[in-house]
Amino acid sequence: MLTDERRLGVLVALGGGALFLLWYLAPWAVPHRLFGGEGVLLSPFGHHLPQGSLPPGYQDGWLLGVFYPSLAWLALTLVLAWTPKPARKLYLLGILGLGLFLLTYLLFQASVAQVNAGAERPILRRYSLGLGSYATLAFSLYLLLLARLFSPGGLAFLVRLRGVVVPLFSLLLASLLGGVIVAVMKKAPGEAQSLREALMLKLDLITYTYQLLYSPLVNPSGFLQSLLLATPLIFTGLAVALGFRGGLFNIGAPGQLILGAIAAMLVGVYLPGPRWLVLPLAILAAALAGGLWGALPGWLKARFGAHEVINTIMLNYIAASLFLFLISANEYKFFGRTLYLPFKYPGYEARSHEIRPEARIPHWTELVAPGGELSFALPLALLLGLLGYFLTRKSLGHRVLLGLLGGAVGYVMGGLLPGPAVSFGPDLTSVRLNGAFLLALLALFFFHFYVFRTVGGYELRAMGLAPKAAEYGGVLAGRKLVLIMFLAGALAGLAATHYVLGGGIDEYRLKQALPYSVGFDGIAVALMGQNTPLGVGLAAWLFGILLTGGLQVNLQLGISRELVAVLQALIVLFIAAGGFLPRYFTDPLRAAEVEVREEARKREERGEAR
Amino acid sequence: MNLDTAFWIALFFSTLRQTTPLLLTALGGMFSERSGVVNIALEGIILFGALTAAVVVERLEYALGPGPHPWLPWVGVLSAMAVGGLVAWVHAVVSLKYRADQIISATAINLLALGAPSLVLTYFYGNATNSKEVVNRLPLIGPEGFALSPLVYLAFLLVPLSWWVLFKTPFGLRLRAVGEHPEAADTLGVNVYRMRYIGVVLSGILAGLAGAYLAIGFLNQFVRGMSAGMGFISLAAMIFGKWHPLGILFSTLLFGFASALAIQLQGTEILPAVLVQAFPYVVTVLVLAGFMGKSRPPAAVGKPYEK
Repeated sequence: MLTDERRLGVLVALGGGALFLLWYLAPWAVPHRLFGGEGVLLSPFGHHLPQGSLPPGYQDGWLLGVFYPSLAWLALTLVLAWTPKPARKLYLLGILGLGLFLLTYLLFQASVAQVNAGAERPILRRYSLGLGSYATLAFSLYLLLLARLFSPGGLAFLVRLRGVVVPLFSLLLASLLGGVIVAVMKKAPGEAQSLREALMLKLDLITYTYQLLYSPLVNPSGFLQSLLLATPLIFTGLAVALGFRGGLFNIGAPGQLILGAIAAMLVGVYLPGPRWLVLPLAILAAALAGGLWGALPGWLKARFGAHEVINTIMLNYIAASLFLFLISANEYKFFGRTLYLPFKYPGYEARSHEIRPEARIPHWTELVAPGGELSFALPLALLLGLLGYFLTRKSLGHRVLLGLLGGAVGYVMGGLLPGPAVSFGPDLTSVRLNGAFLLALLALFFFHFYVFRTVGGYELRAMGLAPKAAEYGGVLAGRKLVLIMFLAGALAGLAATHYVLGGGIDEYRLKQALPYSVGFDGIAVALMGQNTPLGVGLAAWLFGILLTGGLQVNLQLGISRELVAVLQALIVLFIAAGGFLPRYFTDPLRAAEVEVREEARKREERGEAR
Repeated sequence: MNLDTAFWIALFFSTLRQTTPLLLTALGGMFSERSGVVNIALEGIILFGALTAAVVVERLEYALGPGPHPWLPWVGVLSAMAVGGLVAWVHAVVSLKYRADQIISATAINLLALGAPSLVLTYFYGNATNSKEVVNRLPLIGPEGFALSPLVYLAFLLVPLSWWVLFKTPFGLRLRAVGEHPEAADTLGVNVYRMRYIGVVLSGILAGLAGAYLAIGFLNQFVRGMSAGMGFISLAAMIFGKWHPLGILFSTLLFGFASALAIQLQGTEILPAVLVQAFPYVVTVLVLAGFMGKSRPPAAVGKPYEK
């Protein structure tokens, strides 16, 4: 058995070896790249230049200026890891590594800017750092993690954060496996002269794929698009998470979404009336229909003991049939007699009539800047609402009420304030992000309050943790079960408001293209978010980013967008397996054991020091 | 409305064909659940099996050149079974060794089966929805006009065979024991984990076989989402069949009949096709609600075992 400090030394050495290998094999920077992904790959060990020479005017001297200090840093790290009391030194080295990465980034940007400056159209395009540089960043973070882990109480620290550690580690594993899949499935662009170059091209291909997947983070229209795709995922993620909290597995979100969409369409198209009445009614109808479709398997379970998993799946298929039945034709034959349905809009495509303007959820430009003037209504409403909630110290009901009141006052006041005129480019206005995103945020708040702040939510969690104990404690199990499934279904049904009322599928209609399989993506979102509202919100956004980036991957590299679906599935699989981490990361009892043990050791060490 | 004899004969044979994949999968699910592991990944495994069979046969045809190769479809069948077993093994490792929630781990595999085929199809054929058609399908056996795929016969032969394995062999006894009372079985020297691995992998092999039947027996290519819930329906049939081969035979025949009826009614003016397609799913919901009799699962099903 190795002592802790020896183990630390070995771990640093292993990481350092991997780092050096990546430095040798992978490009450090790519100052120019073609649309298909082929790039000019720079590395201190020899460049890969598709055109035979560096792009005209490009100076690569900075690379060696970064390489030698990096090498010295790595050597120092490997040595210092074996000296006594290494943890504190590793902290400093980790921070130093972050500094090195920053330096690399700045020098690279400067070298590119030097060529592009003054040119009418940028000469160097799609430039970015390469895996070699990113490896420096990763190793620095790894050093910081090791330093924390091997200082007193380090393991307990990680175990306490297991709600974050397990999903992130699973994401990392899934990404690594995804990288292997990309490398196998896709021929790297460009000609390789040697084995090292072939590996370099593959590693660059993987890096570029992930760069594209995460590119919506740094590009305004991609950013909005990622929020757009996150909107339904928040709803369906919550729909699954609520079930998990209550000990139920709701795979029925697709069906519940379909029913919500049908109800929203019926109210939105056929109910006349003013906006203040019709829009809320349409939204409520979506929630109600989804909720009832969800409550059905809940009732079947409570009444007959039929397992909700298979039932919800079957109801998905039934809902899909119903959906097609309503909008794919106007007349059907029943035993020779003809039935006429009014719902399908004339034409080849299966779609409903248009939603009336009164029932539409406004586009984001109308919310942020109605009439071309920036509005302060929403930010002020949010600010005053949060102030109203957090600055009072009364019962929950009072605080929520004050929060809502503050929000309303803020909305009115902000609406009255004059705002500066703004205009958005067509790449931004064409993104169909709409008010349903705000509804999704409200749903996150609702989830938080209901599950963690009310008696009903307490009962729900008790049902999930120990159903028998909950029943003994006075929870009406059957009724609660139906209620949980109703609420979960309602959340999934609300996802339809984004598609139908908010025009999320290109038109303000119910169309056959309704992507109801986002209901399944909700499973990944809920697991990744560990069934907490903040987690679900962030996970939905992460998948929104990946799905948006997936489009770029498809366009530029010709890799199917389903890569993202595969990543999602792998994440679910790995989280289910607890990230293959030791058991104290998944089992609360063992986690508590670790924490107590570490606490005791920490106290002991302090005592010795004294 | 004229339902003549031809209609009923067509319906009968269609029922046999529709029952086959359900029967294979349900028998597989039975082995898995009898050993104490829920395997709702069968839906995805059918897809993986179908994909493997179609792609392997098509690629080999491409490599070998034109001409009939009567042994080729059997290579496809075997590779589909192997892949099915492999995927099920992943489910077994994650849920047995790493004590994952069996339903979540299986759902992950089902999600994988929705995305992964597109990657493979794009790699080989440049489209994300279906494979190229194969020439060498499984042969048909039987008199002219009433010929059926050999896998149809095999599926029905597997009913008595699995009854014998499950109830008349020491292996079957051990398998049932670890599903009912793993502690007791362990005390008597039965390796609980090994029996469960075998049960799950066996279910994957059979579901892979069902997939091969769909891809190169029933059709001649892989089509995205071609399992259409068959894996789930099979599990419902397994529950309705009380985890017993004979019960499963009758329940899958019921579901097969519902699907066959849906197919035969398509294009007629009796009922609209879009609604008729939902038949088997509605039947499943009704069956699970216990409108057709209660059934009791193996006592330890779904629970992880710890020594």
